[in-house]
Amino acid sequence: MSALQPSNPVLVVASLQTEFRIARGKVQAVRDVSFTLEQGERLGIVGESGCGKSAMALSIMGLIEPPGFIVAGSVKLVGQELVGLPDRRLRKIRGREISLIYQDASAALDPVRSIGAHLLEAIRNHDATIGRAAARRRAVELLRDVEVPNAERRLNDYPHQYSGGMRQRVVIACALAHEPTVVIADEPTTALDVTTQAQVLTLLGRLVEERRTAVVLITHNLGIVAEFCDTVRVMYAGRFVEQASTETLFTTPRHPYTSALLGSVPRVKQLLTGPLPAIGGSPPDLASVGPGCAFAPRCLRSRGREICQTTAPAAPLRTDGHIVECHFADEDDAILADETQ
Amino acid sequence: MSSTVAGAPLLVVENMTKEFPAQRRFLAGKASRPLLAVDHVSFSATRGETFGIVGESGCGKSTLTRAILRLIEPTSGHAYFDGIDLGSLDATALRAIRSRLQVVFQDPFSSLDPRMSIRDIVAEGLEIHGDGDRSECRLRAAEMLELVGIPPAVHGNRPDAFSGGQRQRVGVARALAMRPELVFLDEPISALDVSIQAQVLNLLRRLQLELGLTYVFIVHDLAIAEYFCDRVAVLYRGSIVETGARAQLFEAPLHPYTVALLSAVPEPDPKRSRHRQRIVLQGDVAPVHSDTVGCRFRARCPVGKDRALCATLSPPLQERVDAHQVACHFPGELRVSP
Repeated sequence: MSALQPSNPVLVVASLQTEFRIARGKVQAVRDVSFTLEQGERLGIVGESGCGKSAMALSIMGLIEPPGFIVAGSVKLVGQELVGLPDRRLRKIRGREISLIYQDASAALDPVRSIGAHLLEAIRNHDATIGRAAARRRAVELLRDVEVPNAERRLNDYPHQYSGGMRQRVVIACALAHEPTVVIADEPTTALDVTTQAQVLTLLGRLVEERRTAVVLITHNLGIVAEFCDTVRVMYAGRFVEQASTETLFTTPRHPYTSALLGSVPRVKQLLTGPLPAIGGSPPDLASVGPGCAFAPRCLRSRGREICQTTAPAAPLRTDGHIVECHFADEDDAILADETQ
Repeated sequence: MSSTVAGAPLLVVENMTKEFPAQRRFLAGKASRPLLAVDHVSFSATRGETFGIVGESGCGKSTLTRAILRLIEPTSGHAYFDGIDLGSLDATALRAIRSRLQVVFQDPFSSLDPRMSIRDIVAEGLEIHGDGDRSECRLRAAEMLELVGIPPAVHGNRPDAFSGGQRQRVGVARALAMRPELVFLDEPISALDVSIQAQVLNLLRRLQLELGLTYVFIVHDLAIAEYFCDRVAVLYRGSIVETGARAQLFEAPLHPYTVALLSAVPEPDPKRSRHRQRIVLQGDVAPVHSDTVGCRFRARCPVGKDRALCATLSPPLQERVDAHQVACHFPGELRVSP
């Protein structure tokens, strides 16, 4: 893991709140989220579906559309405030200084346009002066960079002629075309097989390393975070409930949700037997989040204590930037610890 | 219940093969070549065990399941369920036997009829198979729903009132209401949230013990396969490349594909995962045709890529130790440091 210089933040998100106004009320998808991303940092955001991680990504990109609204907070990209910026200005920033890699490459690519057309669009969007031949050369270069074999010839292919892994490489090539400072990758390998996933993550790792690009990697897969990220934030019900360096989070998780999640996932070469320590219940409905801790109903540590029901936990900073949103962060989950042996 | 002795195989699959014929492509001049989706797959599942079929997308797992259950007609090969050749049955006999072998599907969102209450969804199969009158079926459905952890107060609700995990429980209840002996679990948890997956796995395991079920578990996630299965077969491009007991397969894999697959699984442990050796396979899973020669894994294989033997001869599936079978000319040559 590279030592990070703690003084060069490229992205500062402060008290971001995003809600969706739908018929049955307000869904608070992102509830007061703050974080800082250093140059070249790889931040992992772990959460289950519906926890607000994609809404957060779209909010940062300025891509939230009604019925979704950013109701409060700030997103500063290399010092420039993005929240409230008109779309015309945002379009000049998106794809050049900050890019988004979507989960589903098949949906991100237009089936009736060639791979080359997608790359040329990504190149020309922010470089109107580039000539036809130069743009094409750059497109071939980009395709080679993401290790697509026979790049020159395959530029004329259509998305359906590419495999899933190759399509995701094209999406990555488009996102990195202008060497942005920050890339947000929203479940970039979830649709891929495990061997293809390994290829794509290795590739993404190499590319961002070469360019010193900072990455926000959004995933539900704890293994990917352990392998790819320097720092981790665990998201639950629209909030970061725990944040730490990857090492700290995986060796000494302090939030009961994090420990439970880590304990409930089978791993290879462990030859586990017996029941898994499962988390009971389901994630909460973000349209009706109560005043207390959102995890309390499923929490083994809370054991019905009143403060968990009534008061949202504050998150005092622990050593090494380890932040835990729990009233009882220092207690152990005795039951869980036994079962995860 | 059947009269077969315990320990005897409940399901025997022999040389199951499914070839999809050549098709004329739309607007393309020439016809495509016939696609060999499943190629002489043989395995058996003993009563009470979980047999896992592991493979990446396109490896033929789903086609194999469908061919065994005769949801599609196999090109050749046999599947014997409790000694009965499923291929020899006519439509009526097949329908009758299907209550004894059930399937739980991957997607809990599209596999349940959105217009029916969950109680009716579970009761429907019972009614079709003539298991008692309507009220008896509904009673049995309610029992099954309770068994999978869905409280009676919500049995009248439609699927859209439930979360993914709960819907998958409904799918399990529907399959088990028929009192099957053999259940095919086709990626039953891959559409579920991480925190819900363990709940459903625990449920499936509890029910297996309580009801004496035999499972064929189709799964792409190796960690889940290792946790849940007694024996495992690894499928690559339509054929089994390695099979054995879970400890053999996961602790001492012999086929380079299994080794690579295991090394590619991201582990939620930064201390281990960052220092271990990984084999990143190049290329993708490409289709196999009946005229493909040599080992089907060769193009991606770190061991056999440049070896003449691998290029000319398709390695047969052979036993190495104690029923640990592998289809490789150079088994065990590729190793990774743990």
